[in-house]
This record gives sequence, structure tokens and C-alpha cells, in this order.
Amino acid sequence: MAINPFSRRRNPAYRRYTIRMAISAAVYIAAIVAASRLLHKQAPASPGAVMIALVPGLAVLAMIWAIGRLLSELDDEYLRMLEVRKAIFATGMTLAVASVWGLLEIFTAVPSLPVFWIFPIWAMGLGAGAVWNRLTLGDAGCA
Amino acid sequence: MKNRLKILRAERDWSQQDLAERLGVSRQSVNAIETGKYDPSLPLAFRIADLFALPIEAIFQRD
Repeated sequence: MAINPFSRRRNPAYRRYTIRMAISAAVYIAAIVAASRLLHKQAPASPGAVMIALVPGLAVLAMIWAIGRLLSELDDEYLRMLEVRKAIFATGMTLAVASVWGLLEIFTAVPSLPVFWIFPIWAMGLGAGAVWNRLTLGDAGCA
Repeated sequence: MKNRLKILRAERDWSQQDLAERLGVSRQSVNAIETGKYDPSLPLAFRIADLFALPIEAIFQRD
């Protein structure tokens, strides 16, 4: 099949999104590794420790910003709808996991789920949303 | 919403890709509109109508 110049591969909005996400993810991983080497778990909340611990958070903010930019920069209304559907799916999945697990934590002795996991769960939800698009829209559901 | 996009495209011997390029949208968009999985926005519907030189209601019909 020929590559459509307007498909995901060539759409400039997707290209910028991929670059922004790759940079943010690289900073995120490097900052997590650095923070875990520099700080012991539960270090006192000194200004220095807080600054180091906040760096990966900034990378997460950049990822959230990149997702927002993708939605506003995508000029193809249908591809944009596919992305919005993925985000809605991810949001529902995150709310479901957090709420159900939260109730289990209140009433039973299950291990506590750190809120740190909320964004990774949401990102996994984006992937699951892509599968949902594919299943419900077929070939037209592949962004 | 029903539409005659596939017929109009076939009459001109255009592929989905050809039509997508003429409209400045993705091939997936053309596929989704043709198969009735997605109703285009009014601006895109007007672009489609302009391309085929037909009124919108000659391309898109109520179910």
C-alpha cells in the first residue's frame, strides 16, 4: 500500500509529537535514574531534594503538553477524533483503576498504589484506546 | 448518514488515496466517511461537494 502523504507517517503534527515525546521520555528516564541515585527513598523534603525529585515531574508536564499540542495541531478532523477517542478511553481506564483500587485499599489490606502510577496508567490507556479504535472502526481506526 | 462518495469516486476512477489528496485529508478519513463510520464536519462536506461540483444533498443523504 502506498504511503499517504496525509497519513500518520507524514503528518507534521505526528512528527512533532513523536519528537517532543521522545525528548520528554528521555529526560524523564534520566531524571528518574538520577533522582534514585542521588536521593534515598523518603529523603527529608529539603529544598535540594524537592528540586531533584521535581525534575521527572517537569518531564511529565512536557508529555502532557505534547499530547495537548497534538490535539490542537492535527489539522485532519478524523485523525483528531481518533486521538480524542484514545484520550477518553485512557481517562476512563485510569479513573476505573484508581477508583476501584482505592476502594480496595480502604477496605482491605491490598498494597497501596502510588499516585505516581496515574500517568503511566493513562499512557497505557492511550495504547488500549488505539486497540479500541481498531476494533470498532476497522482499518479506518488506525491513526 | 448515507453518502454516494464511493460511487462518485469510482465514476472518476479515483482511489481513496487520490480523493484524500484532493481533499487534503488522510486516506483513513475517506475510508471512514465512505463506510458511514464518520460524518464529516460541515466545512469538509462543503469541500467534498465543491470537488465533485455537486450540492451537499446530492452526496449526503438522511438515513
